[in-house]
Amino acid sequence: MDKLGGAVRELSRIDENLKNQTWLVRLHPLVKLLVSVLYIAMTVSVPVLNIGMLLLMAVYPVVLFITGDVSFRDSLRRLKVVLPLVCFVGVLNPFFDKTPVMLAEGLMVTGGVISMVTLMVKGVLTVLAAYLLIATTGIERICYALRQLHVPQLIVTQILLTYRYISLLLTEMKKTVDAYKLRAPGQRGIHIRAWGSLVGGLLLRSIDRANVLYESMILRGFHGEFYYSGAGKAETADYIYLIAWTVCFIVIRLFGGRI
Amino acid sequence: MSHIHIELNNVSFGYEPDKPVIKNVSLRAGEEESIGIIGANGAGKSTLLKLLVGLCPGFSGSIRVEEIPVERNTLPKIRERCGYVFQDSDSQLFMPSVYEDVAFAPRNYGLPEEEVERRTIAALERVNILHLKDKPVYRLSGGEKKLVSIATILSMTPDIILMDEPSTALDLKNRRNLINILNSFDHLKIIASHDLDMILETCKRTILLSDGRVVADGNTREILGNERLMAENDLELPLSMQSKGVI
Repeated sequence: MDKLGGAVRELSRIDENLKNQTWLVRLHPLVKLLVSVLYIAMTVSVPVLNIGMLLLMAVYPVVLFITGDVSFRDSLRRLKVVLPLVCFVGVLNPFFDKTPVMLAEGLMVTGGVISMVTLMVKGVLTVLAAYLLIATTGIERICYALRQLHVPQLIVTQILLTYRYISLLLTEMKKTVDAYKLRAPGQRGIHIRAWGSLVGGLLLRSIDRANVLYESMILRGFHGEFYYSGAGKAETADYIYLIAWTVCFIVIRLFGGRI
Repeated sequence: MSHIHIELNNVSFGYEPDKPVIKNVSLRAGEEESIGIIGANGAGKSTLLKLLVGLCPGFSGSIRVEEIPVERNTLPKIRERCGYVFQDSDSQLFMPSVYEDVAFAPRNYGLPEEEVERRTIAALERVNILHLKDKPVYRLSGGEKKLVSIATILSMTPDIILMDEPSTALDLKNRRNLINILNSFDHLKIIASHDLDMILETCKRTILLSDGRVVADGNTREILGNERLMAENDLELPLSMQSKGVI
């Protein structure tokens, strides 16, 4: 099951991409975090029946993909599990809301269809925004920005460690599944009878590894607070980035409805 | 033995009540000593190392590291002076890049960023892996990971280095490199290992554990060359001694 190995590699590649010091990567993490949060809030608040405004909001991810040297194809590949789920959110709306809203090419479009499309677009845009933040900032720098915003250290450390433990869990899972497959040649997938012990064993091994990792941290002076390499002070480019996008979002939000 | 770094008096410990893993162990170790801890599986080697850094609370007897008793409230001080290298480097390294991992400890001790950088670079240079500084940890080979693990503790500038099975999973070239690096340290080194040939090359003193007790404590060459003693404790002579014939 090399999907697991692929998942571990993809996770690692996101970190590795940060080595490409594009202007977007170099921006202050706090500024990027604020812009992302603002973007998500603005996108979510777009009225349900206003697809035009929502399409204008797509300018943010499009600009970042183009100028930030982030591969759109890779992003879609990495998000291929999440995006269908996001799209599924409003799938029942056409059945509940049958109010006719407009006539397009002789075809009656109902409020339910428009709200379904809006929800899907909103979901995709917000997920892309969150992905772009991680892909161009890195989890450590995001956590640093969260601490700058005085988010409690307990929550920030949880976020950081959860992100780190994902790859650890995936690695353990891959080992377990590989070992199973080598002793079950010709079998497709894992037999349902083996799932219980497999998952149980995986959990115990992950706990063991997490425990050793924690011991290694406390032996090196960890006492609950991560110290992140300083991102320095925000510079002119950071302020320009923040102001430009804030103005852009407000303009779209105020005047985008006329489109 | 000019200065005592580690002192254990009648120490006993068990993970479960009534099942002691370490039984009434007493020993002393001074500066610049290099001590090998050997014994069969389950003899208590790793547990003995963990006791020194307070990873096994609830022992009886007394343990002093740098004249500080190992107690809950003294652990931060003790851990600052002891560098512990785990058997599995994968479990020890968790930061995204080599530099970040080696800088982890100095940052936790609240050092200014310039000092963190100085120590990190010095630690990486010490084990000849400065070129790996920006490499992601998951991209390292087994040998490189081991050296990074050592660098992560050197950046703490410890007085004592504790190592659990350092040569596990290393090929011959990396093992030789590790031995050379270990021999270049002037810290007090305590190495728990099944690799008796490595112990022979890196440690002047050896402690043989069996069923949680110290069976022998003395000159490495004498202990490892004692075929009867080794056989009685489920061990064999090191390969290098077998091929040359026992002394």
